[in-house]
Amino acid sequence: MSFHHLDQYATVSSPVTRATPTARVLAATAIAVGTAALPLGAWEHLGILAGLVVLVVAAAHVPASLILRRLAGPFVFVLAASTGLLFLVPGTPLIHVGPFGISDAGLQRFGFVLGRASVALTAAVVLVSTTSFPELLQALRQLRLPAAVTTALGLGYRLLYLLVDELERLQRAARSRNADGGTTRRRRLLVGITAAGLSRAFARGERTHRAMLARGFVGDLPSLAPKSWDLGTALVLTVLIVAVVAIALSAHLRF
Amino acid sequence: MAHIPDGFLSAPVMAGTAAASVAGLAVAVHRSRRHLAEREAPVLGAATAFVFAAQMLNFPLGAGTSAHLLGGVLVGTMLGPWAAMLVLFAVVLVQALLFQDGGIGALGANTLNMAILGVGSGMLVYRWILGLTGVGVRRRVAAAAVAGAGSTVIVGVAVAIELALSDTVPLAPALVAVGGGHALMGIGEGVITGAVLAMVLRARPELVGGVPSPSGWDRALAYAGTIVAVTLAAGAAYLASSKPDALEAAAARLGIQEFETAYLAAPFADYTAPLGGALMAAVIGVIVVFVVAWVIGRAVTRKRLGV
Repeated sequence: MSFHHLDQYATVSSPVTRATPTARVLAATAIAVGTAALPLGAWEHLGILAGLVVLVVAAAHVPASLILRRLAGPFVFVLAASTGLLFLVPGTPLIHVGPFGISDAGLQRFGFVLGRASVALTAAVVLVSTTSFPELLQALRQLRLPAAVTTALGLGYRLLYLLVDELERLQRAARSRNADGGTTRRRRLLVGITAAGLSRAFARGERTHRAMLARGFVGDLPSLAPKSWDLGTALVLTVLIVAVVAIALSAHLRF
Repeated sequence: MAHIPDGFLSAPVMAGTAAASVAGLAVAVHRSRRHLAEREAPVLGAATAFVFAAQMLNFPLGAGTSAHLLGGVLVGTMLGPWAAMLVLFAVVLVQALLFQDGGIGALGANTLNMAILGVGSGMLVYRWILGLTGVGVRRRVAAAAVAGAGSTVIVGVAVAIELALSDTVPLAPALVAVGGGHALMGIGEGVITGAVLAMVLRARPELVGGVPSPSGWDRALAYAGTIVAVTLAAGAAYLASSKPDALEAAAARLGIQEFETAYLAAPFADYTAPLGGALMAAVIGVIVVFVVAWVIGRAVTRKRLGV
């Protein structure tokens, strides 16, 4: 399993990738939280925030096709979740689908929730498309996340791809011995593979840890060439956060 | 819908759940460090990678459906509840940041649901059952299966309550749609958790965290808890039946009578069991849950352990 494609645009030089990853995480969080916090019906404010996200996409030099491709998976999920709102929100029924009715309030809420979700989702996709995992980890560490969590994330990310490969190898080996026929046998096989994966993950974790201790590991993973804060980044981030807060507040005052 | 995307929660709910998550994680960090000491880094890393990889495996459930492991209770039985909370938080965080599975704004809610409430309630049920029955291989597998199922239902109920507090969906339909969905998922989670734990107990028993044999005091506490729970359930059911249906009244106030009939048509409609009386319904409910769990536990352990 390869993960090079995930960080393809994290190495492209752009105003966004030149900023310290901490600033990128804070900016994406501000936009996502600000969007999610808009009150129902604040369409103009949602439009302004969407424009802001489009500006960031343009500044990041990430092709729109990549953003759209990465949006597709989570968007289908969000669409499915918000479709539930069509039927679950009470109001004046407009359309009848079998025993259920779609109400006007349901339709409005469906539209707005979907809009909010899409804008916040795009902000998150821009973040992950411009930031490699080690950079993300550096940001989380700077944001004072507990060391136990950031170390678990760092080691977990390294182990994950090995473990997925290992699980695939186990499945292939079982299949080549005809252990895959029928739902019951397949279920039993998967239980075995999960249990084997669990014990192998722990064994590999311990082994890697011992090797790291031998190489002088003292409890935190250093990042190579960490990007630091500069005045421009801090200024742009401050303006962005103030703008998002102002938009969200004005929406709350109006609705 | 275990992972709430952004856009479904209101600002106060996002802020409140985030604050609760931070508080819960602070306790978890402190307690897990004491429990795992210098083993912390490799163990947490390995468990995070495992939960992530295991969530990619789809178990066929029959009839074209499949489920994947959530893993909170399984990891909890290995590492204890506090470390498991940190592992699940790491998983939820990566899912939100890297894969957009759950929103960044909703991270607080998702952490609270899956890492803190999911693992916490699951491990509470696990310890509670072991307090009642004493520790043994079969009992631990059965307890983990029930805990896995129970924690999934709790996660679903928490999601429904958060959606209702955000004024996204009214509570009753949210509980039925999201809670009901999670109740079905919980069956899968319970069976997979029990089966995997049984296999690990056979192949690598040293990986599973030891649970001390319950003292007389522990047992007394567990039995007292059970009696209180059954009394509360019976009392609630009795109140619900004597005051003609609070749920229906709430539904009428929210103007959803037309939905309510479609969603709430349960086998024991209006909680009236064949033998009559809400009390009987509550008692039968508790017994059925325990019998089903016991049967699943026995079947799973017998197959896996060859005993």
